[in-house]
Amino acid sequence: MHPFLESQRHQTRRQFFGSTGLRLGGTALAGMLANAATRTANAAPQMLPPLPGLPHFAPKAKAIIYLHMNGGPSQIDLWDHKPVLKEHFDKDLPDSIRKGQRITTMTSGQSRLPVAPSKFKFAQQGQCGTWVSELLPFTAKHVDDIAVIKSVHTNAINHDPACTFVMTGSEVPGKASLGSWLAYGLGSESNDLPAFVVLTPIWSSGAAAQALFTRMWSSGFLPSSYNGVALRSVGDPVLYVQNPPGVAARDRRVMLDALSQLNQRRFEELGDPEIQTRIAQYEMAFRMQSSVPDLTNLATESKETLDMYGPEVHKPGTFAASALLARRMIERGVRAVQILHRGWDQHGNLPRDITSQCYDTDQPIGALLTDLKQRGLLDSTLVVWGGEFGRTVYSQGTLTKENYGRDHHPRNFCMWLAGGGIKGGMTFGETDDFSYNVVANPCHINDLNATMLHCLGIDHERFSFKFQGLDQRLTGVEPQQVIQDILA
Amino acid sequence: MKRSSLVVFTLWFAACASARAEEISFNRDVRPILSANCFACHGLDAKQRKADLRLDVADGALAERDGHVAIKPGDLAKSEVWRRLISEDADVVMPPPSTKKKLTAEQKATIRKWIEQGAPYQKHWAFETPTKTADPPVQNGAWAKNSIDRFVLARLDKEGLAPRPEASRATLIRRVAFAVTGLPPTPKEVAEFEGDSSPQAYEKMVDRYLQSPRYGEEMGRHWLDVARYADTHGLHLDNERSMWAYRDWVIKAFNANQPFDKFTVEQLAGDLLPNPTQDQLIATGFNRCNVTTSEGGAIEAEWLYRYAVDRTSTTVQTWMGLTGGCAVCHDHKYDPLSAREFYSLYAFFYSAADPGMDRNTNTTDPFFKLSTAEQKAALTKLQADETVAKQQLEAIAARVAYADPADAQPPPAKQPVRDVWLDDVFPNGSKVTCSSRNNSVWATAPEVDPPLGRRALKQFGASNYHDKFENSLQPFVIPENPKLFVWVRLDEYEPSQTLSLELITSRGNRRFLWGNPKNYGAATTDKSWLGEAPPSNQWVELVVAADKLDLQPGDTVRSVSLAQFGGVAWWDGLIITGDTYPATDLRSSFTAWWKDRAGKETPGIPGELAAFLKAGPTLTRSASEEKPEDKKSNELKDKLRQFYLAFVARASDAELQQHQQAWLAANSAKTLLEEAIPGTFIFKDLDKPREAFVMLRGQYDKPGEKVEPNVPAVFPPLKKPTTESRSTRLDLANWLLAPDHPLTARVTVNRFWQQLFGTGLVKTSYDFGSQGEPPSHPELLDWLAIWYRENGWDTKALVRLLVTSATFRQDTRVAADLLRLDPENRLYARGPRFRLDAEQIRDNVLYVSGLINLEMGGRGVKSYQPPNLWEPVGYSDSNTRFYLQDHGPAIYRRSIYAFLKRTAPPPFMSNFDGPNREQFCTLRERSNTPLQALQLLNDTQHFESARAFGERILSEGGETADERITFAYRATLSRSPKPEELAVVRRALDQYLQRYRDDSAAAKQVISVGESKRKTNHPDTELAAYTLIANLILNLDETVMRN
Repeated sequence: MHPFLESQRHQTRRQFFGSTGLRLGGTALAGMLANAATRTANAAPQMLPPLPGLPHFAPKAKAIIYLHMNGGPSQIDLWDHKPVLKEHFDKDLPDSIRKGQRITTMTSGQSRLPVAPSKFKFAQQGQCGTWVSELLPFTAKHVDDIAVIKSVHTNAINHDPACTFVMTGSEVPGKASLGSWLAYGLGSESNDLPAFVVLTPIWSSGAAAQALFTRMWSSGFLPSSYNGVALRSVGDPVLYVQNPPGVAARDRRVMLDALSQLNQRRFEELGDPEIQTRIAQYEMAFRMQSSVPDLTNLATESKETLDMYGPEVHKPGTFAASALLARRMIERGVRAVQILHRGWDQHGNLPRDITSQCYDTDQPIGALLTDLKQRGLLDSTLVVWGGEFGRTVYSQGTLTKENYGRDHHPRNFCMWLAGGGIKGGMTFGETDDFSYNVVANPCHINDLNATMLHCLGIDHERFSFKFQGLDQRLTGVEPQQVIQDILA
Repeated sequence: MKRSSLVVFTLWFAACASARAEEISFNRDVRPILSANCFACHGLDAKQRKADLRLDVADGALAERDGHVAIKPGDLAKSEVWRRLISEDADVVMPPPSTKKKLTAEQKATIRKWIEQGAPYQKHWAFETPTKTADPPVQNGAWAKNSIDRFVLARLDKEGLAPRPEASRATLIRRVAFAVTGLPPTPKEVAEFEGDSSPQAYEKMVDRYLQSPRYGEEMGRHWLDVARYADTHGLHLDNERSMWAYRDWVIKAFNANQPFDKFTVEQLAGDLLPNPTQDQLIATGFNRCNVTTSEGGAIEAEWLYRYAVDRTSTTVQTWMGLTGGCAVCHDHKYDPLSAREFYSLYAFFYSAADPGMDRNTNTTDPFFKLSTAEQKAALTKLQADETVAKQQLEAIAARVAYADPADAQPPPAKQPVRDVWLDDVFPNGSKVTCSSRNNSVWATAPEVDPPLGRRALKQFGASNYHDKFENSLQPFVIPENPKLFVWVRLDEYEPSQTLSLELITSRGNRRFLWGNPKNYGAATTDKSWLGEAPPSNQWVELVVAADKLDLQPGDTVRSVSLAQFGGVAWWDGLIITGDTYPATDLRSSFTAWWKDRAGKETPGIPGELAAFLKAGPTLTRSASEEKPEDKKSNELKDKLRQFYLAFVARASDAELQQHQQAWLAANSAKTLLEEAIPGTFIFKDLDKPREAFVMLRGQYDKPGEKVEPNVPAVFPPLKKPTTESRSTRLDLANWLLAPDHPLTARVTVNRFWQQLFGTGLVKTSYDFGSQGEPPSHPELLDWLAIWYRENGWDTKALVRLLVTSATFRQDTRVAADLLRLDPENRLYARGPRFRLDAEQIRDNVLYVSGLINLEMGGRGVKSYQPPNLWEPVGYSDSNTRFYLQDHGPAIYRRSIYAFLKRTAPPPFMSNFDGPNREQFCTLRERSNTPLQALQLLNDTQHFESARAFGERILSEGGETADERITFAYRATLSRSPKPEELAVVRRALDQYLQRYRDDSAAAKQVISVGESKRKTNHPDTELAAYTLIANLILNLDETVMRN
């Protein structure tokens, strides 16, 4: 391509797409706003196109909602049913199972590694008969739409590197997150919202919780305009979206009219197209000042819908409110929504704390799946659930039938996917009787990343960005595989 | 800008250098094609190499193998490479279809021509030692001001282009001021420069800015991106670390114009210099700036490994512009850096003395206390004073008459007591823990005015921030009718939600709460809840009455914990009052105390007395009956009693009391100074080096071959002072600076060029390897590199050379055809124009508005930040969980002094492409987004600046609207508005004046944004209207650009 054309493409993408993934809606905007409740795939020419050649093939999903349960939810108490463990209560984990694998220094000093069976009951659910814990009654109703992967494994054994890994495909900080990759590659379908939005809801127990890091939604080496934008429940929903006190929208309009006239003059003088980009971004900012409050105003939702998400939906900043906002964003064309729910790191008092975590999340997740389905959006939206690693079968700290804790376990854990491109009603991968080792169909974090990209029409091997002398990929340099078995 | 345009650039040559299109250069034309398509399998990485064929070196490519030759110079037909490139057969064609790589027709044509021309190979350009070429001939020599211009012009001549004329003086001074100091010029400076008719006016102006202390701040912030400097550890808890002294050292080094070779040596190996100075030790902080962890469960060996990898990669990147990271796992596929060579470099850093776990403290070892000469002297004196006071106290105690009240008959009557449990220092001997994992923090005037003594205990942030002290030498005994008092003060802006005072006593735990009890799992109905939180911004004495204490006389308190939740509080003077019976009181009766201590460990007791005390009171005979075997024990008993009287008992006479207090005062004076001296992380090696190994596939627990510190073979060899000893970081630093090193000078001048011109001569300033772009002006790059080294690595001189060039001084107007030809301005046929960096944008509004506080140095400051940026991400127990904004002048400091929390950097940085400093960053992007627009319009810092600027416009801008707008333009853009611009701004102003005349409440709101006080009495309406006009002008494209 001629350098000028390359530059033009670059400019076009930067002007209309870069910058938080917003594109100029120009004349189409009025129509979009009027029609905000439905995704208008063909209402306007996509002024913010995907990268040339993307998607690589027809995507099943256009958007993703990624529900990250931060801290490492216990697979043994939620999805990986191990009835045989009852017989091993308080017996030592057999060496034949542990095989000398490394364990964290939190339990490596324990004199024993006693097996802790789950105290929660499991039952088979749906047509498919997937086993689900009693902790997840609402999610359980959707198992026929869900593919549970029991054999996910990761390289990291501690939170910080494991979170960085699950979100960016690498333990080392500095890489781009999944949402940033999608915003970069696929562009945005929204005229007035960012392409990649992140929510960090509160967790009701309020107990000490692991940290999140902005690097989990960072663009890393990608242009910083692909950073995830935090949608906040305290203060401005998007940073600085509100005018200062005493400045009304019409005052802003007066200023922006003057500003664009003055900047336009400057452009005519210098000819630098970046000036026109700036004019456009100020107009976009002005539109966001109304589109963002419109997004976060849940008053337009029906009572039925609100009830479905449960009582917490009325409190801003809860997981329930976040799940509903996720649906609203998908309707408005946001490409990637990530909800990061903290508080799943249960080294002790696991039964009490996991119950509280499930109270926060289960009903809203069930509602989200129902809501998306009712609106015909589930087929084009990939929904993903999971943490950064799993938890050990052996108890950390004191073990009783009713109470126990679990340490970090990177060797296998459960995640599930539903919606666009996913074959529901199935499980993939098997673990041994102790949920300690994968015995069939392992799924590495980056296999999962490859699979998610596939659902969105992207061949992960051909989706790269040159940085530090390498063709950087979300899925890293090692060969990875799309998990074909879970695809519809 | 990270978007690679390698292909673009290659084609660029094809498009622009058509005159030379027939002469194929291996490095310029062929290597990029082979590197992108072939080297992964036929390059340096022996493990990945296919068919044992190398195409990156002539030896491999031209060798005959089994009758075939990969490349036969001048003979296409016999060149296997060519046959493979053009084959249609999927089994034969190269690259294989599975790689999804394919050469374009144009690329194939280049390869064909190159083979036809004899397939000449070159070493990668950046690994050849730079060579100096004479200034090239140019058509318009009069335009050139120095050699830079001749190189630039020679290239423009070839392209048939002409440079732009010099920009206006107004534009030039603003460009220079931002480039050199990061701030705009003042209207006075503009007027002086415009009025200076001397031929050296420009150079004089440049020199003035080079002398400003602001220069070091501007230069320093670029370096801090490379050094990945921040104020928190970065991982897991992301707690605060104390190494701002390193940041200040960088600024100082630039201001002092420290030559770059010294600058390098001190950062990489300052600790290895003979008798290193304090500054040389601080400089080694460069290699302590990496992120660290102390996550529970983390494995030490893994992190020691990772830190060394980070330090190696950062060093390779900073001085050599190479991406060492690839070789962590395998031989570099494109550049001659094998894994073994990477780990040989890593061996220089793997013996670092800092631990794998940073302990979440702000003083992770090796930690160096920074005392000034005055502080050192003062401390020596205070230490001596304390020793003298202590000796005097001991002398008095030795001779004072003491009758144990336990022996008195009848026993003495009860006496009122008032015991201070805590004042300026923690009680003697006590074990102190602070939940922040750092030392406790104390505050003195002027921050707060302590009601008792000289300082107060400060608590801030975090949930349940507490200071606990236990087992002090002086026993804490509950008297009769006890009443406990403590002073507390809550912060004006961030009052604590809850205060807690907890005692662990011989009768169980007692906790007392003020404020919201829920934070401590209690309710207002509980006995522990003593009331609402006290009013903020004043000292309040909290009281715990006897019934609440619920303790009996004689009960002892083992530990005291003061705590607060979620805000800022100061505590002072924990005091108990009541009545006591001397005969049994532990601080009146020596015998009672001795009995109490029997069988227990007592802290703070001198060695020889400890066992004697623990053994309990022994039966002793009086002096007259003393037998020889009693002598020793009587001596000890005397000593113990003297010790008791001096340090444990309440003073029983006036003289003793006076000396007790004198010693306490001397001790606290000494302690106060000791604790007031800050420190910084420095780099040191272990006494005995760790053995280093190649780590297979980059895994910390898979050591392979053992390696010694060494440098990659493609470079000149390492020179060591002695042959026997192991090579050191000092050898490494000297090696980087050797005249024959091909990279250091090139990489460094290129970064300065990038800083001043917006794009480097090597655009990929982070990659000088074969995957990076070749330089746009290779001869100029080499000329500058050699010039810099030969001029003693004089950085100020280099900056001066660059900004005084005619190339730098051009105006920025760009015609459409030139924009099409050279969209990125790589040929420099116009002046550089680009968006200001994050820090410059913030500093600019503070400076123009007059709010700026130019104080230099010190701990990071926290300015305005929207609520709830740290809290939703922070670990519950982190000491940077709650963002506690500073107040007063601190919030107007320059941005380089802003506190940088890595896991949640301030939006003024992250919104404007500032890196989060988790790893080195040699090139920032310049995005242009609506979130930036929102911040510049609405952020309190920006809007307050508009308000202050509006006030300035009214006060200094003259009487008429036109005069005032003109003043605003000159202050912001260094130029007057054109009539059409004036008209546009006038129109907006008239609307705002009307608007705020109609709505005085809104006007009041506008002029109340921010914490700074109004300085003048302009009418609200006018000030509000001019605030919005200032806000408009501060948002102009021209304002946020360096023009």
